[in-house]
Amino acid sequence: MVDGQDPAGRPSFFRKPASGATPVLHRPVAAPPPAPPAEPPPPGPPEHLPGPPPEGPGLATLRRPTFHGTGGTLFGIHLINTLLTLVTFGVYYFWAKTRLRRYLFSQTEIEGDRFAYHGTGRELLLGTLKAALVFGVPIFLLNVIRDVLDVPWVLKVGAGLLSGSLLFVLFPVAMVGARRYRLSRTSWRGIRFSFRGHVWELVKIVLVGSILTGFTFGLYYPYLLVKRQTFMIANSYFGSERFDFAGRGRDLFWVYVQAILLTLPTLGLCWVWYIARKRRYFWDHTSFGPARFSCSVTGGALLGLWVVNLLLLVCTLGIGWPWVRVRNIHFAFRNLALTGPLDLARIQQEAQRVSPMGEGLSGFFDSGFDLA
Amino acid sequence: MRTDWQGTYLDGRTPARQPATVRLMREGLELTTEAGGTRLWRYRELRQTQGSYAGEEVRLERGGELPETLLIPDSAFLQSLHEAAPDVGLRFHDPRRRSARLRWTIVAVGGVLAVTVAIYLWGIPLVAALVTPHVPVAWEEALGRSAVSYLAPPERRCGDPALGAAMDAIVARLLAAGPPSPYTMRVYVVNRPVVNALAVPGGHVVIFHGLLERTSTPEELAGVMAHELQHILRRHTTRAVIQDMGTGLLLMALTGDVTGPLAYGLETARALGELRYSRRAEEEADVEGMKMLLAARVAPAGMITFFGKIQKEEGAQPKALTYLSSHPLPAERIARLKALAEAWRGAPEPLLPGDDWSALTKRC
Repeated sequence: MVDGQDPAGRPSFFRKPASGATPVLHRPVAAPPPAPPAEPPPPGPPEHLPGPPPEGPGLATLRRPTFHGTGGTLFGIHLINTLLTLVTFGVYYFWAKTRLRRYLFSQTEIEGDRFAYHGTGRELLLGTLKAALVFGVPIFLLNVIRDVLDVPWVLKVGAGLLSGSLLFVLFPVAMVGARRYRLSRTSWRGIRFSFRGHVWELVKIVLVGSILTGFTFGLYYPYLLVKRQTFMIANSYFGSERFDFAGRGRDLFWVYVQAILLTLPTLGLCWVWYIARKRRYFWDHTSFGPARFSCSVTGGALLGLWVVNLLLLVCTLGIGWPWVRVRNIHFAFRNLALTGPLDLARIQQEAQRVSPMGEGLSGFFDSGFDLA
Repeated sequence: MRTDWQGTYLDGRTPARQPATVRLMREGLELTTEAGGTRLWRYRELRQTQGSYAGEEVRLERGGELPETLLIPDSAFLQSLHEAAPDVGLRFHDPRRRSARLRWTIVAVGGVLAVTVAIYLWGIPLVAALVTPHVPVAWEEALGRSAVSYLAPPERRCGDPALGAAMDAIVARLLAAGPPSPYTMRVYVVNRPVVNALAVPGGHVVIFHGLLERTSTPEELAGVMAHELQHILRRHTTRAVIQDMGTGLLLMALTGDVTGPLAYGLETARALGELRYSRRAEEEADVEGMKMLLAARVAPAGMITFFGKIQKEEGAQPKALTYLSSHPLPAERIARLKALAEAWRGAPEPLLPGDDWSALTKRC
């Protein structure tokens, strides 16, 4: 691994490419696939581009993340976690989750260095309690008013509307909160990631986006996806350096329309290809400084992965999930690369203080950590 | 014992890797980097965050939230550390304990199995039994309403007023003889050929038309009704729902998944039709149902005849009788009912004397 920086803090990691080397990577002319709504690039897996773009002289540097973990170890961790969760009546759940994340992160390597996860079970527990208090209790009470209590209907309607709008705000808050928490607890080479987007911005995107999607009978949806992805990526930082996302809704639009049109003739299978194209599009338009991500997932490969995973799970009655998880991670990393100069010497530590409440909130919706 | 090691130092302010030399001492390690010179890191100021799994490099952190980090690629370092400073104890991972960890993992397998079985067999039923009496009737009613709208959708209910009146009369007669109950009982006859009857929490009895057609006297239906009413009064259904949710939570703990069981729990209301009562709940509903019949002076023979009839029919067309799959009828159950009926010295009074029962059961 290249290291060292001179005392003056000048970059020495990777030579800067000559002149305008900032690679203008292929901007898909046709419709690139819509992006997966799911996770924006997690903290840092870099990727490589196949073949240097024509104008990047010294840019052949291609980095891929590697995952060193094994299904067997993951299974062992899961067993002990399960036992402790059962005998503590579920309280250990938060520590179990932390332990699993710590393992997954520390088995992920890029440029010769592994990631580290700094979250703790205690934080997660407090975050969940706080989330339950701030959102869970009011929503529960409102639902009791709506469904159980014998009160005038005006009150019932009011309670229903209020709990509905609380739920509507809940998802963006959980999404941003979880991302903020997870990035802030992730480090690479001792430098923390962070997320600095404001939740109201996402509420606005989702609110306006949902209304427009409704009015256009769903056609606006790809634009909403891209807006959301832009928000999630372009507010993510590694130390003092920001990630960037340059996707455009109209690029995704045609892919999306195509998938809708092909749904009937392909019995819905075309959505696998849609997901692959979206994933490619999202990664291909994500950059970190002058370095760019690229993704080579294809629909066929994705379908193959899922089919084998499903068989594995069915044949083992679900016990095989740690191996499935490892397969997913390997698959994602195999198809991911970061190319171009990685100018680390400019980067300074800029950690942000983050409350774990959003993470606790998101715990009600999903399970765990999406490395892949 | 080897005391000198090569590693990498991260200062926590920049992502630069600085080559470092480490010397193991009694009270700490001596760290040397080009930029920072030599300093002593005491063992008690350090924490190890990676390096306890095979193949991982050793990661030592020092300081508060944004620590300095020392990475040593060779995990043999840990063993030397324990030799150099035997009193650091569990602060640092000891590779010699790895086989112990494997043993613990195997113990955990057995432990998980044992605990799961114990929770499933005893824990969940115990909790359900403790919680059930404290569930407010209003909650049972809310749960019942949503279950009924699924099990007996309004467009499939029999709306015949004479039939409805007969059902209400039977329920009223049965309830009048017992202590007052917090529930308002409602009966729904559903126009489907299934031979089955269900109790829904909060005071709803669902009777499928197929079962109604199989009864030849109102006393026979009263027997089925008394049994189902007892399930409601004794909160067997509510308890089964709670138990079912407990099973969902157990599944969640086993799979580490939250969303699955959540959906599973929501599914519960729909699956009410599929719920199984414990054998004890069934026996209790039998015995108490029979007592209810007797207290209301309904001839007990009807209940016994009907159960016998259903049991005999099972051989002929097993699939048609859903009732049996949710209410298994072993011979001893009927025998017990018979014993109770024979011990009764009261005189039965006719049920629905003015009605033509067989005509009534054809209506809907």
